Amino acid sequence: MKYSVIALSLLVVASAGDAHAKAKWVIGMSQCNLGEPWRVQMNADIKKAAAGNADIEVIFKDAQNDTLKQRAQVEEFVNAGVNLLIISPKEAAPLTAPVAAAFKKGIPVIVLDRRVLGSSYTSFIGADNKKIGMAAGKWIAKRVAELAAGGAKGRVVELKGLMTSTPAQDRNSGFRAGIKAAAPAVVDIVFEADMKWLEANARKEMESALAVNPKIDLVYAHNDPGAHGAYLAAKAAGREKNIIFVGIDGLPQEGQSFVKQGLLEASFEYPTGGKEAIESALKILGGKTVPKEVTLNSHVFTKANVDKGGECL
Amino acid sequence: MSNANTIATIPSASPAPSFDAKRKPNAPIHLRKLAQQPWVRALLALVLIAAIGMIFNPGGIFYKWSTHRDMLRQVSVAGMLACGMTLVIITGGIDLAVGSVVGFTAVLFSLLTLHLGWPAALALPVCVLTGAACGALSGGLIAGFNIQPFIATLAMMVFARGLAKSISGGQKISTAVLQADDSYKNIELPALFGTIDHRILGENIAVVTLVMLVCVLACYVLLTKLRWGRYFYATGGNENAARLSGVPTKAIKVWAYGLSGVFSAIAGICQAAQEQQGDPEAGAGYELTAIAMVVIGGTSLAGGRGGIALTLIGAFTIGYLEKILSINAVGESSRLMLTGLIIVAAVLLQRSKK
Repeated sequence: MKYSVIALSLLVVASAGDAHAKAKWVIGMSQCNLGEPWRVQMNADIKKAAAGNADIEVIFKDAQNDTLKQRAQVEEFVNAGVNLLIISPKEAAPLTAPVAAAFKKGIPVIVLDRRVLGSSYTSFIGADNKKIGMAAGKWIAKRVAELAAGGAKGRVVELKGLMTSTPAQDRNSGFRAGIKAAAPAVVDIVFEADMKWLEANARKEMESALAVNPKIDLVYAHNDPGAHGAYLAAKAAGREKNIIFVGIDGLPQEGQSFVKQGLLEASFEYPTGGKEAIESALKILGGKTVPKEVTLNSHVFTKANVDKGGECL
Repeated sequence: MSNANTIATIPSASPAPSFDAKRKPNAPIHLRKLAQQPWVRALLALVLIAAIGMIFNPGGIFYKWSTHRDMLRQVSVAGMLACGMTLVIITGGIDLAVGSVVGFTAVLFSLLTLHLGWPAALALPVCVLTGAACGALSGGLIAGFNIQPFIATLAMMVFARGLAKSISGGQKISTAVLQADDSYKNIELPALFGTIDHRILGENIAVVTLVMLVCVLACYVLLTKLRWGRYFYATGGNENAARLSGVPTKAIKVWAYGLSGVFSAIAGICQAAQEQQGDPEAGAGYELTAIAMVVIGGTSLAGGRGGIALTLIGAFTIGYLEKILSINAVGESSRLMLTGLIIVAAVLLQRSKK
């Protein structure tokens, strides 16, 4: 028994480890948490962008949402002598020092999505949740104004992500600011709840929203699975046809797919930056300079434009 | 409590009533006996929660059937897990792997039906057997190698989550199927998904709720009507005494964890049908909800005492608590604190006054 468990462990390790081919440049990619589909997509985008190039090889590490593990990974990459480091850090403060140490050793560092403190890195690439939330707020205010032509306010439900996380805070404050900027008088937020990014929670909260509010015009969820959960709740109540669902993230297999199926009316993309990171990496490795800060463009996907790749915000 | 005593009191799943004549001489004896019944105490907690619901009742929706119907649906998946958890806890163990097995079987079910196009008649038994195998493996480690249940099921919890992520490639398995040219094609949702996530009897009850009730009924028959079920109590009450009196305690343990795996797999299938996808992260933390349901019902974590009807009451208590907090749109921080406080209050209500 003891030996068979050990043998099985070795087998799993052997099948999981990559055989490293010799490429000109080795890029280390430290991902903070592969438990989220969006981050799996980020890695997939990096892999895809790097696949066509024989000069580079990317080694992926997953910190499993553990800051100290990620710190150790950065140090491992430095010791292994990678030519460039891409990191999507879990948290800014505790990862600033290891990233700076790598940078000072002459390893170019691309910071993806979340920030580190100071300026000891080569380039930051990320999207702006506040901007995306704001775009969603403006879009929703406009859409609700069309509905509520008679002067009545549009009744909106907001299903929030985990409100202790910055993306949820920004998608909330951006959304409110967007409404204020566009048409504050037409939107009435009748129900808001924290669904912690989870579809099953969103469905529960939406059932309560439906029970308490006989009329709901629109649901804004901080991610697409949340909007989908709300849709399923409305469908079970037979009210999905009278409600517009809007989500954020716009992953091809989630948001874009829901829009194509007509479940969501719009999904606002939160780009992963995977492709852009590899493009920047190639420039840096080729001796060119890249901007210190790159803000990614976002798209909105609606039924009209989803097949054409969405519309730039 | 002696082994003989445990077995003798199984049908009512209650501790032997103690006739304490010195206390409350005025209370009629039958009332005192009644108040000592575990199910009465469990109902007290439920009534307490329901009373809160009647006080904080925006627009009178607590009096609408749809509110209760939705609560019954929401509580179903965790309720199925609590069935298996009850069996395991009665044998004196704990099963931390149930939430991960939900994630694993939800992914497996979605993979088989959505991506590989298996018919329901084939996919359902394969998923249930997979769940049973996960549970029986935990049980085997516990019974055969004397590994503590906490450790063995902790290992299975981590391992099954890894399996879920491995077979799904870390992505949700949904109706959007990746094609060779990197685009996604939407496939039709199999009819089985709609059948499970559907209301029947005049739209009055969700199918998943009925599935949960069938699970509860199966456990009820097992624990109260079959000699084999009484062995579960005997194993948890006093394992040595049970073994010496001929109870196959090792086999009973494997069965308990195996059945817990079966209920977890059924819950996983229901979870996938309700989300219309297999999420490798599904069910994370559900093991704690299931344990809370069992404990609030009044089944003893020490083993040997308790029952499935108690767990059902416990499940409703948790379900109503969540529902009431949700319809009142209570903020997340207050929800967590209130949930903690009410669990303590419910368990204090449970405790027998000895």
